[in-house]
Amino acid sequence: MKAGKSNSTVLERRNYKWCYLFLLPSLLIFLLFYLSPILTVIATSFTKWDGFNKPVFIGLKNYIDLFHSKTFLISLKNLLAWSVIAATLHVGFGVLMAFVLYAKPKGWKFTRVIFMVPNVISAAAWAMIYKFIFNDDMGILNNLIRRFSPDFHVQWFFQSPYAFWAVTCTWIFYAVIVTLVVLNDLMAVPEEVVEAARVDGASPWQLTRHIMLPLCRNAIGTGVICSITSRIAMYEQIRLTTAGGPGDDTMNIPLILVNSISDMKYGYANANGMVMFVLGLIILAAVNITFRMNDSIY
Amino acid sequence: MKKKITVFCMYFLMVFTVIISVFPILWVIMSSFKTNAQILGNPFTLPTSISFEPYIYLFEKYDFLRYAVNSFLVCITSTLLSLLFFAMGAYVIGKYRFPGKSLIFALFTITLLVPSHSKAQPIFSLIMKINLYDNIWGLAVVYLSMGLAMSVFILKSTFMSIPSSLDEAARLEGAGFLRVFFQINLPLAKGGLATAGILMFLNNWNEFFYASLLTSSNKNRTLPVALQFFTESFSYDYTKLFAALTLVVLPGIILYALAQEQVQASVAATGVKG
Repeated sequence: MKAGKSNSTVLERRNYKWCYLFLLPSLLIFLLFYLSPILTVIATSFTKWDGFNKPVFIGLKNYIDLFHSKTFLISLKNLLAWSVIAATLHVGFGVLMAFVLYAKPKGWKFTRVIFMVPNVISAAAWAMIYKFIFNDDMGILNNLIRRFSPDFHVQWFFQSPYAFWAVTCTWIFYAVIVTLVVLNDLMAVPEEVVEAARVDGASPWQLTRHIMLPLCRNAIGTGVICSITSRIAMYEQIRLTTAGGPGDDTMNIPLILVNSISDMKYGYANANGMVMFVLGLIILAAVNITFRMNDSIY
Repeated sequence: MKKKITVFCMYFLMVFTVIISVFPILWVIMSSFKTNAQILGNPFTLPTSISFEPYIYLFEKYDFLRYAVNSFLVCITSTLLSLLFFAMGAYVIGKYRFPGKSLIFALFTITLLVPSHSKAQPIFSLIMKINLYDNIWGLAVVYLSMGLAMSVFILKSTFMSIPSSLDEAARLEGAGFLRVFFQINLPLAKGGLATAGILMFLNNWNEFFYASLLTSSNKNRTLPVALQFFTESFSYDYTKLFAALTLVVLPGIILYALAQEQVQASVAATGVKG
């Protein structure tokens, strides 16, 4: 056998064929469902295209139209508001629950298991459940309120300005992903660090604020990214409750995208897709910088 | 005193979390056993009798069974196939050295950054082109592609944790590449396969966006999409609506109950929605 001057051994080289063969299905999936769609979205977002005729290059017109469309501007405003709520209240509640569970009070495991349930059922079903909870006739909420104020009637999902908040309610407290990711990091904090702080006389509050919280900033950053990107992609919770109404009160970019596909305005639809994609990247970069996620922690 | 307040707050938060997480579901299940009049009269009362009539109706007089079968077929085929494909990919990425390996892995990872909704139009057109629009297998093809990054992630670390000495030993005994994979590595990767498989199955089972975009006729609906049309067909028959909701929600919960450890661990590790 020729001892290898190169880095790879004979056995390895003989396996190349198999390696590429094994990667073939995944690579095909990547090409067909990731790479080529993304390139199509980028390219055709600068065209007028109905899917039958050839796309016609129109420069930035789709984007200009987008930023002149009232529906799109409302969607952006909604997205901004939802992102702020997600990054503060939603993630805040998730982190708070992580610290509660970290203290391991009686029943913490049970709570952790149960908290996950809304996330394992379909967002479509969850949206329907909330539609019923907020229903004026038989919903829990209004019936509860009517115990105290018998003439109370509000159609939460169909009246401005409540609709926005009703949609927000379907996700605001369901922050189990944040909780699990942060809890995972908290549990990984070395015993010595906690011990050392205690010996130095740190109160539980100081320990939490100055040691534990900074130590799990990566997990919190991940939580912020996940929760804001799910706001960008939020679809079922809106389609099945308000369908974007009343007026355009609860519109979101994926709804515009789907509507444009049904209207055969493919170029315009893809300009929306581009906006979603770019917004996602901006969020990722911004959170990475804010939370210094690339610096190592220990 | 201060300690007592902290403890009280902790329990308050825990009780709050449990209530907002299960109460809506319990309310739905409970309401499916009440009559329409009872539901409208007082949403808080317990059902007076247990009757499975609305459930039987859904299966006998409505196409519920068909939706359930559609959902199941689409999810199980796409999950099993993609599990095999991604396991093959993750195996060679995790255990072998070959040119282009890090590039391919990086490309797979980057797909996590692309919101799946943003690719709606090209995927819609692709499915149209291969003539699978309004066909459950078209949907299965799309689901096959989902979870690429997450599964390769999970499976790669699983395969890396299986000692290479086992592969060497098998090879010395004369086992070829395929046998080393299928008979040595795949059985030992059970844990990772279960985790990735369960997450993909749950995601596919609950998927609504592409299911509603890529199907149009009644016979091709999956459960989440069918839900949207229940509201129209039973507009004021709340008992049946609640029964339908219960049937859509329960399989996911049961699967989660059976595999709760895996789901939680993988969510914590990957930060990807389960």
